[in-house]
Amino acid sequence: MAGRQTTTYERITYPVDWLEERSGLVGGLRYFLYRKVPGDTNWFQTLGSATLTAFLSQAITGTILAMYYKPGPATAYPSILHITNDLWGGWLVRGMHKWGASVFIILMFLHMGRVFLFGAYKYPRELNWIIGCLLLTLGLAEGFTGYLLPWDQTAFWATTVGINLNGTAPFLGPFIAQFLQGGTYINPDTLPRFYAIHMLVLPALIFSLIGLHLYLVVRLGVSSPPWSKEAAGTGPLVPASQNGHSPGLKAGATDA
Amino acid sequence: MQTSSDKPHVPGPSLWPAGLAVGVIVMLVGIVVAWSLVVIGAVVAIVFAALWVRDVLRGSHITEAPEVEPERRVAAPPAAETAPAAVAGGAERYPRSVFLEVSTLGLGAAIGGLITLPAIGFALGPSLLNQAVPEADLGPVTNFPEGDFIATTFTSNPPEGIVSRRTAFVRYNGLLEQLPSYTIISNHCAHLGCPVQPNGPSVGKSHTWRTVTFQQYDPSGFGCPCHGGQYDIEGNRVAGPPVRALDRYSFNVKNGHLYVGVPFSVAKVVGTGADAQIHKVTYAFPGEHVSGAESWLYPIQPPHDN
Amino acid sequence: MPSDRVAERRKVFKQYKADVAERGKPFFPYAMVEDSVMSLVTVGVIIALAVIWKWTTPGDHTGIGPDGTTLNQSGWLGKLIDDPADPGTISFVPRPDWYFYFLFYLLRIFKWPNTVILGTVGIPTILLILLIALPFYDQRAERRPLYRPVAMVAAVLTMISMGVLTWKGATAKEALGSELIGDVPSWAKSEGFENNPAAIAGAKLFAVSGCLNCHTYNGAGNSNLGAPDLTSIGASNQGAEFFATYVSDPRKFGNEVMPVFGKANGGELTDGQLAQLGAFLNASRGKNASSGDK
Repeated sequence: MAGRQTTTYERITYPVDWLEERSGLVGGLRYFLYRKVPGDTNWFQTLGSATLTAFLSQAITGTILAMYYKPGPATAYPSILHITNDLWGGWLVRGMHKWGASVFIILMFLHMGRVFLFGAYKYPRELNWIIGCLLLTLGLAEGFTGYLLPWDQTAFWATTVGINLNGTAPFLGPFIAQFLQGGTYINPDTLPRFYAIHMLVLPALIFSLIGLHLYLVVRLGVSSPPWSKEAAGTGPLVPASQNGHSPGLKAGATDA
Repeated sequence: MQTSSDKPHVPGPSLWPAGLAVGVIVMLVGIVVAWSLVVIGAVVAIVFAALWVRDVLRGSHITEAPEVEPERRVAAPPAAETAPAAVAGGAERYPRSVFLEVSTLGLGAAIGGLITLPAIGFALGPSLLNQAVPEADLGPVTNFPEGDFIATTFTSNPPEGIVSRRTAFVRYNGLLEQLPSYTIISNHCAHLGCPVQPNGPSVGKSHTWRTVTFQQYDPSGFGCPCHGGQYDIEGNRVAGPPVRALDRYSFNVKNGHLYVGVPFSVAKVVGTGADAQIHKVTYAFPGEHVSGAESWLYPIQPPHDN
Repeated sequence: MPSDRVAERRKVFKQYKADVAERGKPFFPYAMVEDSVMSLVTVGVIIALAVIWKWTTPGDHTGIGPDGTTLNQSGWLGKLIDDPADPGTISFVPRPDWYFYFLFYLLRIFKWPNTVILGTVGIPTILLILLIALPFYDQRAERRPLYRPVAMVAAVLTMISMGVLTWKGATAKEALGSELIGDVPSWAKSEGFENNPAAIAGAKLFAVSGCLNCHTYNGAGNSNLGAPDLTSIGASNQGAEFFATYVSDPRKFGNEVMPVFGKANGGELTDGQLAQLGAFLNASRGKNASSGDK
């Protein structure tokens, strides 16, 4: 068909081009990877991706644990002992999942603090901040529901208190508590219920919100550290008499 | 057969092949079900096949394939304008496209409802229905000497297993109007449900009857290890965050055995022992006020004992 | 005017986009390498924590004894697993996971029944709403920290209070009779009543009767409810008999909150036990005091 031979380069990139022509995904990935970000980004701005890594670690270790964990009042505790002490690598996966939860929550708070410090919740990134707060709440809920799963004394009673905390909410509180528990008291239905929420409902919500969160970051751009001399969006420092703004404020305002 | 021209020819429409298909299927079914059906199917198939072949051989319905205009993009035809005229009765206020839009949404809503409502009902219903607990046998009444608090651990609902283990502080108060009087206090704190402990030394060793464990205590009150709630000997709140008195169990004495049934919540208890006046209310979750101004925050309780 | 501010914002954002397009660097590899390093550190920390958790557990690092029951030992990072769930327990002290300690301590702060709902749902809900609505009540365009005093002060106060609440939640101690009774020998030593059998018997009664749910003694117990510390109560020289009478019926001394302990007054302790308690309280004259027998 073509009037010339395919080059070696084209042979190598053929699968990529095949995929790109049929889906457009490769172009999207290229756009994500090679998009421009301000040159003065700070190490503190890696906290967001670190949080994502921690969450992915939780997702992967959680999936593996789910293959051996047996939800149910009689089987949960023995299955946890089995995972921790009998299965090869079980102690490592369970330990990573348990401590990954703490690391995930710490990183979320640090990331939130960094965004607050940088003022990166201001226009046009307000929606991203709100999504981030929702992710924080969902992450804490993951921790709460997951805490019950070993079904030991700590788990059982911390969850009793947590459910009753929800029960003190006005008007709807008793119904929320009864729905969470699956009855008037913690009963054999409570554990599978928490397991379903922990494994299916919350991860689905968190993944969707993370997707939206990342989409907004790509679309709206990463902000420069506000104290940076060459922060994107600001002009050079100009004395107050010349820029018409209040003293010290950089010309061109101080956004982005 | 007139097959002279260049244009493609097709056999005319005919219903005989349908009969052939039916016959073949009946034959196949007959192989599984009954041999008589095979015979019937074969007969039907052969008859209709013959009719079909006769038709084709006669060539009576050969037609020329019709000319078909190739598709071309045209500007949106004024279908919306012709549609109202086409609607019988000239109902121009309700064009067909609007009707289709609305019915699509309506059908979508109906499908969504048919799928999600039973699922939601299943998520919510079982936690609100059939909450009744059977009576639990706490053993012979000789296990409860008069005036002593016995911490009794029992299984309130054996089919549920260990998760229905409860502990109640049981004290036999003697007879009140010829009926035995018991004080049976639940060990779930009225603040947030932590396990309440007796404030006092244990007396003697624990013993068991079937799956029920007994341990006598000499408490001067009860205390909660979580947030520091303190109760007196009748379960009234004395200090700390509990919002009401400790819950109690209803009980029954049958054939010399003590049975505990449905728990209930208590606003307060006046007096002590057999003469205590228990201000009883329907069971509420820990942390919910049952008396006073703040009880209007919790006007409706979900079903707890039916 | 709002439309001026909106137009200004949009202009600045446009300039930001132009600046980044002109002077920015591609995300891959410049920024992504930093992300990758940090992610590697994160995963490394998670693995390290898991390894330390397991391998610092004493014994065979399983947390389970040879008879299959849970051992009460923990390494540097807490127990591998606790006893199986027992809804009928009367000796367990519930605690949430560490990142909820600040909420847990908030519940201990609101110890008046009418304020419970503030601690459970009121304050957390208000704080969450304030957090989510932040971009709406902070509309200033200024991002530099030194020029945002209110924001910075609020942030520092928030961090300090969360830290303090978390730490206090972590160190909140309970008065479990079965655990406190193990402290009696050390109390006897530090207070100096090792040779006083009545005081020792009284100390044991003191440990299991729930006194430390309201009082503190030698660092143990609960000070949340306003009852006095009893570590050196004997130094007031009121005598063992005074203490025995007080404990028997606090109402006689105007105390309406403390339970009545004396059997004669409706409580559960015999006169003999009350005398032992009185001896113990009288002998409690402070840490490292000499033995006081009377």
